[in-house]
Amino acid sequence: MLAVKTEGLTRKFDGFTAVNALSFEVGEGEIFGLLGPNGAGKTTTVRMLSCIISPTSGMATVAGHDIRSDPTGVRRSVGILTENPSLYERLTALENLEFFAQAYGIKESRQRAERIRELLEFFRLWDRKDDKVTVFSKGMKQKLAIARALVHNPPVLFLDEPTAGLDPEAAKLIRDMVTEMSGKERRTILICTHRLEDAERVCTKVMIIKRGAGVVIGSPDELRLRMAGRPRIEVRVKGDGESFADLVRRIPSVIGVDVINGRILVTSKNPEEAAPEVVRALVNGGAMVLSVNETLPSLEEAYLRLIKEDA
Amino acid sequence: MTDFSNAMLVFWKDWREMRRNYQVIAPILFVPLIFAVILPSIIFFVPTMFGIPESSFQIIGPIFQSLPPEIREMVATLGVQQQMLYIFGLYFFAPFFLIIPLMASSVLASDSFAGEKDRKTLEALLATPLSDGELLLGKILVSFIPAMAVTVLSFAMYCVVIDLAAMPLFNGAVLLPNLLWTELIFLVTPTVALAGIGVTVIVSFKVKGYREAQQLSAILLIPVLAVIFAEISGLIIFGPLMILILGVGFAALDLIVFKIGIALFNREELLMKGI
Repeated sequence: MLAVKTEGLTRKFDGFTAVNALSFEVGEGEIFGLLGPNGAGKTTTVRMLSCIISPTSGMATVAGHDIRSDPTGVRRSVGILTENPSLYERLTALENLEFFAQAYGIKESRQRAERIRELLEFFRLWDRKDDKVTVFSKGMKQKLAIARALVHNPPVLFLDEPTAGLDPEAAKLIRDMVTEMSGKERRTILICTHRLEDAERVCTKVMIIKRGAGVVIGSPDELRLRMAGRPRIEVRVKGDGESFADLVRRIPSVIGVDVINGRILVTSKNPEEAAPEVVRALVNGGAMVLSVNETLPSLEEAYLRLIKEDA
Repeated sequence: MTDFSNAMLVFWKDWREMRRNYQVIAPILFVPLIFAVILPSIIFFVPTMFGIPESSFQIIGPIFQSLPPEIREMVATLGVQQQMLYIFGLYFFAPFFLIIPLMASSVLASDSFAGEKDRKTLEALLATPLSDGELLLGKILVSFIPAMAVTVLSFAMYCVVIDLAAMPLFNGAVLLPNLLWTELIFLVTPTVALAGIGVTVIVSFKVKGYREAQQLSAILLIPVLAVIFAEISGLIIFGPLMILILGVGFAALDLIVFKIGIALFNREELLMKGI
C-alpha cells in the first residue's frame, strides 16, 4: 500500500516555482529521502504534504487522505519535524507534549500521560520533563521535536533536516531511531535532507530534487550505479601508484585508470574478470600489491555531479 | 467546525507562555498601576501635604465648565479640595481607562499572533488538526480575558484610591463605583479591548514579529488620546452621551476589524508572511 503519492505537485510563489510537477510514491514502512541542496524545494514539498500550505496544481494523498479535500485527515495522520524545532521554549518539555497530544486529539488523560512518558523515556528526556525547553541543548530540542511529531502515533512521519546542527553522536541516535521506527513499527518516514550521509545510511529510496523538480529516484545503490557508473577496482601498491598506472592502461578490458592518493582506481566493463589481469600486470611489472578491492563510487560523488550539472 | 475545548487548549498554552514573558507581563501590569494607583495617589494625596498646585485649576477649569448644569451647581458648593477630587476622580481619569484595555489587549494579541512568528513556533502549530476557527478563537480569548481582568482589577484599585481620598473630605461618603463608571468598565472597555485585538490580528498578517505588530497596533491610541484631549479642553465631558458614543463607535469598529481579520485569517498566509 502507498503511504504517500504525489502527481505533478507544483507550488509557485509570485511567479517563482518552488516545486515543479513533482511525482513520486512512497510505500508503507519505507524511509524515503528527498535529497537536494538548500532551496531545492524540499521544505515546500513537505509543507504541502502536511497541509500547511496548498499546492498551486497537482495532487497528493497521504495515508489515503487527499491533501486538497481532506486536510484534517492528512494532519491527523502525519507527524512533522519542521525545519526549526518549533517548540514553545517558555513551556516545559512535558507541557509542550501535553499541548500537542491534545491538539492531535488524544483527549484521555491517562492515555496521553502514558504516551508522553514512553516517548520521553525513549529519548532519555524523562528526567528533564519539568525543565523549560529554553535550557535544552540543540540535540535535546531536536529529540523533543521528534517526540512531538510522534506523540499521536502517526503512520506517516515527515522529518525536515532531522540531523541538522547535531553532533555526530546525536545524529547517529536520530538515524538509528529512524531505522528502528521503519523496521519495527512499519512507520513511513519521509526525510528531507541535504546530507548525503543521512540519505545513504537510512533511506530505502531517495529522490534527488533540484530547483523544485525531481531529477532521479531510486535506492541509494541504484542511484550510485546509474549516476556514477560501474564498480571500480581499487589497488594499493607499495610506492607511488602513478608509476605503475601505465601497466594497467595497456590491458584491453580496462576502460579507464585514475590515481587518487597513491591508489590506482581501475574502471572496466567487467571488474570481476579484469581484477586478476590487473594484479598480474602489476606484479609482472614489479609492483608490490598490498590490497585489491571492488568499490562503488560514493553517492556523494554521484550527487555532486548531478547537482553541478547546469548549475 | 469550532470545538470550544480546542480553542481553550490554545488559550491555556498561550497563557502559560505569556505569563512567563516579562515583555508581555511588565506593560500590562505597570501601565494600569500608573493610571489606577500612582497618578491618582499623587494627585489626591500630595495636595493634603503640600497644598494644591496652580496648574490643577487650569486643568479642571474647562472640565468644570462642560459639566452638566446640575452637577456644576453641586460642585460649586464644595470646597477646593473636594472639587479637585470630584472632578479629577470622577471625570478627568475616565478616558485613561480606555488606554488600559487597549494597551493590554494589543500587547497580548501581538504576542499571541505575531509572537509565534518571532519564536518560529507557528509551523508546528499550523500542522496540527486544530481548525482555523479554533486557533483564532483561542488566541482572541487569551488576548481578551486577561486584558479585561487587568481593566476590572485596575478599576477596583482606582475605586479604593478615590474612596480613601474621598472619605475624609466627604464625611465618609463612597464616590466610586457609580453607574457611569460601571457602564464604562463593563460596556465600553470590552469593545475597546476587542478593537485592539481585531487591529492586531490584521496587523499580524503583515509583520514579521511581536514588536512590529505592537507598534502598528498602537494606531488605535490616536482616537483614545483625542478623547482625552477633547475632555481636557472642555469639548466633551464624561457622561452618558460619551459612553454611548464610545460604546457604539468601538462596537462598529469591532465589527469592521473582525470581519476583515476573520476574512484574512488563513494559516497559509499567516505562515508565509512571517518567513
